[in-house]
Amino acid sequence: MRRWLVQLGAVFVKEVRQTVQDKRLVGLLTVAPFVQLLLFGFAIDLGVDQVPTVVVDMDASAESRSTVDAMLADGTLASVDHVDSVGAAEAQLEDGRAAVALVVPQDFARDLSRGTPTQVQVILDGTDPTRSGVASGAASRYLGGRGLELARQQLDRVTGGRLKLPAVEIRPRLLFNPELSSAVFMVPGIAGMLLLIITTLVTAMGLSREAEVGTLEQVRVTPLPTPLLMLGKIGPYVIVGLLDVTLAIAAGAWVFDMPLRGSMLLFYVLTAAYLLNTVGLGLLISTMSKTQQQAFIGAFVVILPAMLLSGTMTPIHAMPDWLQPITLINPLRFYLEGVRGILLKGATLSDIWVQLVVLLVYGVFILGGASLRFRKTVA
Amino acid sequence: MSEVHTPGGAPAAGPPAGHPAGHPAGHPARSRSDRTRRFFIRVGALAAKEALHIRRDPRTLYLGLILPLVMLLLFGFGISFEIDHIPLAVSDQDHTPESRALVDDFVAANEFELVGNVPDADAATEVLAAGRSSAVLTIPQGYAESLSRGETATVGLLLDAVDVSSTQQSLARADVMAQVATGRVAAASGLMPAGGANLPLSARTWTRFNPAGRSSLYLVPGVTAYVLALVAVLLTSLAVAREWERGSMEQLFATPVGRLEIVIGKLLPYLGMGAVQVLLVLTAGAWVFGLPFRGSLPVLALASVLFMLGMLGQGLLISVITRNQMVATQASMLSAMLPSMLLSGFMFPIQNMPLPLRVFSHIVPARYYIAVLRGVLLRGNGVSELWPELLPLALFAGLMIAVSTARFQRKLA
Repeated sequence: MRRWLVQLGAVFVKEVRQTVQDKRLVGLLTVAPFVQLLLFGFAIDLGVDQVPTVVVDMDASAESRSTVDAMLADGTLASVDHVDSVGAAEAQLEDGRAAVALVVPQDFARDLSRGTPTQVQVILDGTDPTRSGVASGAASRYLGGRGLELARQQLDRVTGGRLKLPAVEIRPRLLFNPELSSAVFMVPGIAGMLLLIITTLVTAMGLSREAEVGTLEQVRVTPLPTPLLMLGKIGPYVIVGLLDVTLAIAAGAWVFDMPLRGSMLLFYVLTAAYLLNTVGLGLLISTMSKTQQQAFIGAFVVILPAMLLSGTMTPIHAMPDWLQPITLINPLRFYLEGVRGILLKGATLSDIWVQLVVLLVYGVFILGGASLRFRKTVA
Repeated sequence: MSEVHTPGGAPAAGPPAGHPAGHPAGHPARSRSDRTRRFFIRVGALAAKEALHIRRDPRTLYLGLILPLVMLLLFGFGISFEIDHIPLAVSDQDHTPESRALVDDFVAANEFELVGNVPDADAATEVLAAGRSSAVLTIPQGYAESLSRGETATVGLLLDAVDVSSTQQSLARADVMAQVATGRVAAASGLMPAGGANLPLSARTWTRFNPAGRSSLYLVPGVTAYVLALVAVLLTSLAVAREWERGSMEQLFATPVGRLEIVIGKLLPYLGMGAVQVLLVLTAGAWVFGLPFRGSLPVLALASVLFMLGMLGQGLLISVITRNQMVATQASMLSAMLPSMLLSGFMFPIQNMPLPLRVFSHIVPARYYIAVLRGVLLRGNGVSELWPELLPLALFAGLMIAVSTARFQRKLA
């Protein structure tokens, strides 16, 4: 038992020394993730506001001006120009200077005062569906609400206050991220993504470098049992992963005010379970590649779908039905659910035990399979 | 393949195309057309050699031709900004036909999907924390009664706001639901005719260019730019760096082939591959996702060539500077692929970024290329709308090709 520990320690120390010697690798492992987290955190703001809007006011009355002002008031739409004709507004939509056109018809004020139904036309550039969706929501929110209010006043006038128009009001309350900060949403996803990129890529390329250079052969003649050799080799990468995730979470909390609501112990347990998967994948890829370049491409082929099919950017329930079951084999999906639960919502073990168990099972499975293959390649 | 570039029948007569031998220095009577012919033969030979390299290496072919399709499908299906089937839990404390009708309003359009019932507010928060639902609708006791008295009944909607764009859409939809429910209730009370357009004031919306709001149509241009950047920068920098690493570049220089001929010969096959990629992605986009093509084809072709030339120049520059495949990979990822993904308007709106990033995005060529693609494909634009995008693309291409060829020539002199 003691001899094993000594042997394990020796491989571990050798691996750490070798990693630290390569300055570029140290940068790749520590500075790069940090910079990328900041870059992504600052660059990604999925919120929609200040949508450029061109106004066509064909009525030019006090009533039409106040309606337009009220529609622009909450900042979702921002007026960039006033033009005289619908054609001119459409030209602005076509060359991308504006994304929304508000057209107030002639006789708008007269129709409103007589109670004749009238409409403000909202023309949207649908190229970016998120933007057009939010813009159209903002426009119809104001107009619909004002329309109901006018209907109520009309009824009041006609019946002299005897009859009232019933109405349903929905009062939303935002939990967990009431400021609607995109960075808070993205940081756990970026952390999971960076862990996948770094640990998988570095493990895969590190091991295939040894195969390329031929040092793996040399290790074979030492009296080391293969499992120890493997543990010693992946150990440092697991520690690097834990270090990186700590950096990422700290940066998220300080720079982007991300809350840390749940148990940190649970968070690290979940991360360790996830790292079993990523390091195992790296090991698996290295057993399938002869050169570093092959390992790089292999890792790229795994990482890209894992990122896109994880719910990092858009929720899984928005994917087509046939695609959703495929995400069930993606460890990143479960890690992400768990981390968002723990950090942002204060989820406890009873809330996320499913994710933890899945990660553990997948991790043991992947790492086990990879070790078997690794043993074959070495032996 | 190289024969395309050589004037008819000429090369067969000469020595093997790969090794133009017997080149007497300073032949006095060589005509201009003869020099041009030799230029084309050498470039063609180099291009053929490079094309052979590509064909022999299945990984390059995978990166060049399969990966673009895989990415197109992943982005097109996997990323969806039009978020429906939002999981909704209901806490109905009223238990009336009226309250059930409100729930029906929510789930009618598939925007929300009923996942269960919760007894009270505490349970609602718990359901959200555990991620079993994204929204909880709470209908208070007395909901139907207040409506029957002609009052305004307030219901609560508790939202998991972690996902920003989902939340914004849920909020917008909740407003629409309130208007739908009000219209239904008012119509049922006989005080107002059915149908929203009968309100004294309402909105009439008309969505152009992408009326169904499909995010795949929005994303395909970005995928095109990204895979082009991947192939043009990463593959060329690797291909040229490999020649430096193995020392075969020095051997090439010992032959009578000129530096410019080497550059053109090396880059030509990748230019061809890029052209195939653009066609592949756009055709597959049209076929799988119904991507339209409304604008000017020449503008699209011009922009694609300019963008590719710029990216090829960048790849060449990286390989001349690094001369090492591993470092070239890193440099390509950082200088071309990351900005093309993050700072190009591919998925993340540029106008929301902090000022330094917004300024920086102006030197990311993918930004202009994606704008051209969206303009031509979706909005039906031509050169009159898109010249402000074409100009920077041309500038970038000219600059990159000039700088990289100059460095390439100096490196060896």
